[in-house]
Amino acid sequence: MVALVVVLALVVVLLAVLVAGLLRSHADILKALHDLGVGVGEPSDLPGHDHGDASRPVAVPLTMGPSLPPDRDATSAPTIAGVTPGGDALAVAPAGSGGLTLLAFLSTGCASCAGFWEAFRDPDGLALPGGTRLVVVTKGPDREIPGEVAGLASPGLAVVMSSDAWTDYEVPGSPFFVLVDGASGRRIGEGVANHFRQVAELVRRAEVDATSFAAGARADRGIGLDGPARESDNDGELRAAGILPGDPSLYPTSLEDLYGPPDARMPATDRHVRRAG
Amino acid sequence: MQAHGIGVQLPSGFEGRIFKRQGSGPELPCTVAHFATFGLPDEVGDFGGGAVQLMGDTDVFASLFEYGPDSVGARLFARQGMPRELSTGDFKPYVLRRGMPGQSGTQWFFTEAGRPFTLYVVLGSHARRTSLVPRANALLAQVSVGPAPLAAPVGAPWN
Repeated sequence: MVALVVVLALVVVLLAVLVAGLLRSHADILKALHDLGVGVGEPSDLPGHDHGDASRPVAVPLTMGPSLPPDRDATSAPTIAGVTPGGDALAVAPAGSGGLTLLAFLSTGCASCAGFWEAFRDPDGLALPGGTRLVVVTKGPDREIPGEVAGLASPGLAVVMSSDAWTDYEVPGSPFFVLVDGASGRRIGEGVANHFRQVAELVRRAEVDATSFAAGARADRGIGLDGPARESDNDGELRAAGILPGDPSLYPTSLEDLYGPPDARMPATDRHVRRAG
Repeated sequence: MQAHGIGVQLPSGFEGRIFKRQGSGPELPCTVAHFATFGLPDEVGDFGGGAVQLMGDTDVFASLFEYGPDSVGARLFARQGMPRELSTGDFKPYVLRRGMPGQSGTQWFFTEAGRPFTLYVVLGSHARRTSLVPRANALLAQVSVGPAPLAAPVGAPWN
């Protein structure tokens, strides 16, 4: 009987310690949440807390990584410097080349990339516009085996192994393609594709587009702007079109606001016929 | 970029390539470095053949070519150190491996880090040499030449 009482007492003590620990942990979490400005309850035991302005923004420490150099933005095309699979050094400056440069970010391990490596073995079959430069960029020797890259790369294919380039161009994964217009020194297209003919078609369209810009079709357009500069440029275009701040067209509330009254809309078949004619 | 004992922090607008030209027959492989303010084609001759034809008026091309060890100590390579501050007077239209109209060039032989080299620089337009020579000098100031690296050991590293 005595032994049973002792055991029960020990169990009660153990449970009490456990509950106390849980309560302490819970209090720590509440305190941390409150410090971040999303607290619940009233931790009145914390000195220095001002409960009167709960809506006041609280500064939360946040690390965003190193800031970009001032000459870098979402469309800049920095020089790609690295090594070749053979151990030579190679630096490519797409922004200074004058023509179009297609950067193909590939890796040796991804199954989707295999078709592109194979396609690059026949440069004449790529159907890229004349003067377009093709450069394959893999991660550096720290992430890729140069011998494997060399085995996939056909002779004469420009291959740069540079992990920094993947960071500079914000490449999400492979395969990934970036098209740089050397004349403007800007990225004019980027994305993924399943087959190279899709990429070639996009490059062809971009070339036509670039030719139009070069001819001055929209020479005043702020190509390559980013952030506040792009917003300011957009504002300028709207003002030039007579659309000022507060214009109702900036705040559509219905389909009629966007497309006009239903009876004024052209049927889709009509549109097609008229465009074709 | 760095390879084969040559390193360079490329100025903005330059691209480059440092590679070993494989010798044929008894020739030893030689180190070549090409730098340009325009897109370098895949195949470029040691002294810019295939590239200088693509130069515009505002372009600069430079080639650093290493000779074999038998040239060390030769009078031609008596100058110690690569020139890093060229003047407009150093460039002559007739100092060109390939006589391209309007261009001009300069060539220097020297020894640095015990390695015999020739430096060959081409300006896209001799008439614009006042603005182009500072660009060439900005490049040369960033080039460093170290001793020739030792040959890589043969065999897998775990042997």
